[in-house]
Amino acid sequence: MASEGVLVFVPTSRGRLVRQRLFVVLAIAALVLALVPLVAVFGYIFANGIGSFTSIDFVLKDPPSDLTATGGGVRNALVGTVEMTALASVVAVPVGLAIAIFAIEVGGGLARAARFLVDVLAGLPSIVVGIFVYTTVVVTQGHFSGLAGSLALAIVMLPVVTVSAEEVLRLTPRPIAEAARALGLSRWRSIVSLFTPMALSGIVTGVLLGISRAIGETAPLIFTSLGNNFFGIDLGQPMAALPLLIYRDALNSAYEAARQRAFGAALLLTIIVFGLNLLGRWLTGRRRLAGSRR
Amino acid sequence: MTTAQEEPLARRLQPIGTQDARPGSAATPSPGPALTAGPIMAVRDLNAWYGFRRALRDVSLDFRANAITAIIGPSGSGKSTLLRCLDRMHEVVPGARSSGTVTYQGIDIYDRQVDPAAVRRTIGMVFQQPNPFPTLTIYDNVAAPARFNGLVKGKAAQDDLVERCLRHAALWDEVKDKLRHAGTSLSGGQQQRLCIARALALEPRVLLMDEPCSALDPTATLQVEQLMSELKVDYTIVIVTHNMQQASRVSDVTAFFTMGDDRAGYLVELDATAKIFTNPANQLTEDYVSGRFG
Amino acid sequence: MNEPTAVPALAEGLGRFRRRRWTGDLTFRSVLAVVTLLVSIVLAAMMAASFVTASPVYQNFGIVGFITGSKWAPSFTVYGAWPFIYGTLLTSLIALILAVPVATLIALLLTELAPARLRAPLGIAVDLLAAVPSVVYGLWGLLVLVPAMRPLEQGVAATIGRAIPFLGPPTPGPSYFAAGVVLAIMIVPIVSAVTREVLAATPRLQREAVLALGGTRWDVVRTVTLPIGRAGLLAAVVLGFGRAVGETIAVTLVIGNSNNIGRSIFAPGFTLASVIANEFNEATETLHPEALIALGTVLLVMSVIVNAIAIAIRNRFTGGTHRGF
Repeated sequence: MASEGVLVFVPTSRGRLVRQRLFVVLAIAALVLALVPLVAVFGYIFANGIGSFTSIDFVLKDPPSDLTATGGGVRNALVGTVEMTALASVVAVPVGLAIAIFAIEVGGGLARAARFLVDVLAGLPSIVVGIFVYTTVVVTQGHFSGLAGSLALAIVMLPVVTVSAEEVLRLTPRPIAEAARALGLSRWRSIVSLFTPMALSGIVTGVLLGISRAIGETAPLIFTSLGNNFFGIDLGQPMAALPLLIYRDALNSAYEAARQRAFGAALLLTIIVFGLNLLGRWLTGRRRLAGSRR
Repeated sequence: MTTAQEEPLARRLQPIGTQDARPGSAATPSPGPALTAGPIMAVRDLNAWYGFRRALRDVSLDFRANAITAIIGPSGSGKSTLLRCLDRMHEVVPGARSSGTVTYQGIDIYDRQVDPAAVRRTIGMVFQQPNPFPTLTIYDNVAAPARFNGLVKGKAAQDDLVERCLRHAALWDEVKDKLRHAGTSLSGGQQQRLCIARALALEPRVLLMDEPCSALDPTATLQVEQLMSELKVDYTIVIVTHNMQQASRVSDVTAFFTMGDDRAGYLVELDATAKIFTNPANQLTEDYVSGRFG
Repeated sequence: MNEPTAVPALAEGLGRFRRRRWTGDLTFRSVLAVVTLLVSIVLAAMMAASFVTASPVYQNFGIVGFITGSKWAPSFTVYGAWPFIYGTLLTSLIALILAVPVATLIALLLTELAPARLRAPLGIAVDLLAAVPSVVYGLWGLLVLVPAMRPLEQGVAATIGRAIPFLGPPTPGPSYFAAGVVLAIMIVPIVSAVTREVLAATPRLQREAVLALGGTRWDVVRTVTLPIGRAGLLAAVVLGFGRAVGETIAVTLVIGNSNNIGRSIFAPGFTLASVIANEFNEATETLHPEALIALGTVLLVMSVIVNAIAIAIRNRFTGGTHRGF
């Protein structure tokens, strides 16, 4: 009800204003509460790990065989991580793309069942994935191996790649899909040469996020690749990995030098993972800005 | 009965706008493609539905070769649906179906043995909104569909094809220096002409155009209309348009559709354009073209 | 004038339209189908293999017996899953209680309240919480968080804990509660991300209707956003729970590793995932490895149930998109 004079609009009641303010304050507090650990964790790892970054040897040398010695590096773990993750990607990316395209293009019962399995896999504890690979590959082979570790990481990556690929492929603009049909192009041509390239940055983001997740996983590697104190690229043998090295040495090692290297490895791993994550998100953001003139 | 030589059409076409024709280009004087004795396409008892909603009722009409047939009528009279039935794009919509026959040079394109993609390569379509492929260059937008369909191979042949089609679409001069730019870097009118060039690259016999100028400004519209007049020498064109002035300017034959009481579209009258617009036989047609409704 | 020529013969004309039997498309689809089928079979086979490996344990103790058994003593070949199921449920519950309100508030902040330019960067910052490797969380948790929380824990144990043993001593540091707190930090990003998705899908019309009637942002949330997004918020919670249930390494490092069912939340314990990780590489007793794998199957079943619920809620909520090409 408008009244004459200065007040034209009815002001919000005091109680509601207070509730609104309280809401905002609480929400900001929640945000701060959540971000504090992010800063705290990174800060702590940085403070304890940066000491290892003084020399490039940290990534060029293996841990010394004399456990009490300082110096040395984590080359074996870094190489192991890179090798197993690369192999995992080589398996997971094409398979994930294939399942995503199959679900969109063909559909049907098999596609629904496969997508359900993938969705379940997405929420599965990574240690269960490790058990899966253990009971099949490791037991059959009779020993731990980098191959088994790669397979476990591939299974961990698969749902991330599949879900994001399907999501972005479903966003193919209808006019483009229609143009391809009206030109009489075969389906496989349209998908491979037109729709997938159009979705490429979204797919790459999914791949990067999948890699970032796989790189940081420890549990599935504990009973697949086991870890290795020495350098090796042979996938038939147990293989070292950064998360494994950190898990073993950061707390349990009796030797200060080993602990220090583990913290350095933790910092290295965190930086890599953050970098991949941010790169992936930056790519998607760019995709939204780029595009046609209209 | 003799069979016509089916030479690739483009080889017999003269470059349009001969001022910038390259000396020595293949300008084989030719009488143009064979004129068929009867209509090039014939529709009999066509009905079309989207799910349970009937969009077209008992449509029968012929399309004269090397002529421009305009399809006019108020919104909802099934004009676009008819067009899409002519190149089997109607069935692409989930839940859409049709009955009746549509023949091209005597062959029912809905025959079970017929490959819809093959139909669409012979009967091309240009859409209302220009839809060039965003991940392809201007060059590739024209060349790739032809290449994918196996119609052209090798750089020389593709270069030739691209130039010819862009000339026929009256776009060559504007883009000849930026063929490697993205297909979507052009203005609206240019993009539409690019889509026309792309359709022409498949050497179709019939060109279907669904309100091709409605998203264009008057200058671009004029260019596309001029194009149509030049193209009809070698192609058969069917154009759906809301714009009666355009229909009367450009077409040789006009078909007037309207929505019946059952909300399905039906053919009211089909005749020479001049007659439809000056002295139509049906009162509904008279009302529509004189602006009394629609 | 052009001379009319005849229409091409029917057979030849049909020829140019005839469907080729073995097209590239058929090959393409077959390859996709084969890959999809193979992957599905491999995954299913792995699940089956786990159950098969664990079956001696189930046969020995019975399914119900194993799940409810509360003694875990490898040297006596006695195995019971209950202490670990209890630990898993307790820590995950603590995590949910702490994380859901925080994540929901954050989601509301990032979709309703914050200025538009800040939303993306803040959202990315929150999502980065999920990127931190769990072993790093574990390290920090044990070396920084646990000691920092001990005074608080001792205070609570000494006061409220006297009346409620559940909140009472002992407070050695690593405990269910510590694991719950670390888990809470780890699931905030996923709960908030899903919640943000849900909130962003609030119908604009109804939002604006409330605002146009003079409502505050909080009124919008209270009357439109939360009621409409209920199913989606539930899905977010369930997904967060699933994530907490499955977390292994961070929990192992801060939970104190005790086979007993601790009396209080400040006591040490184990979860299904953490005991497997902890004991697997030294499992030499009879049936010990098989028992740990049996625990893995329990965890698998729990996780599948939880995730299937979340998927079902999500599908009902979004209605499933049919788009594509």
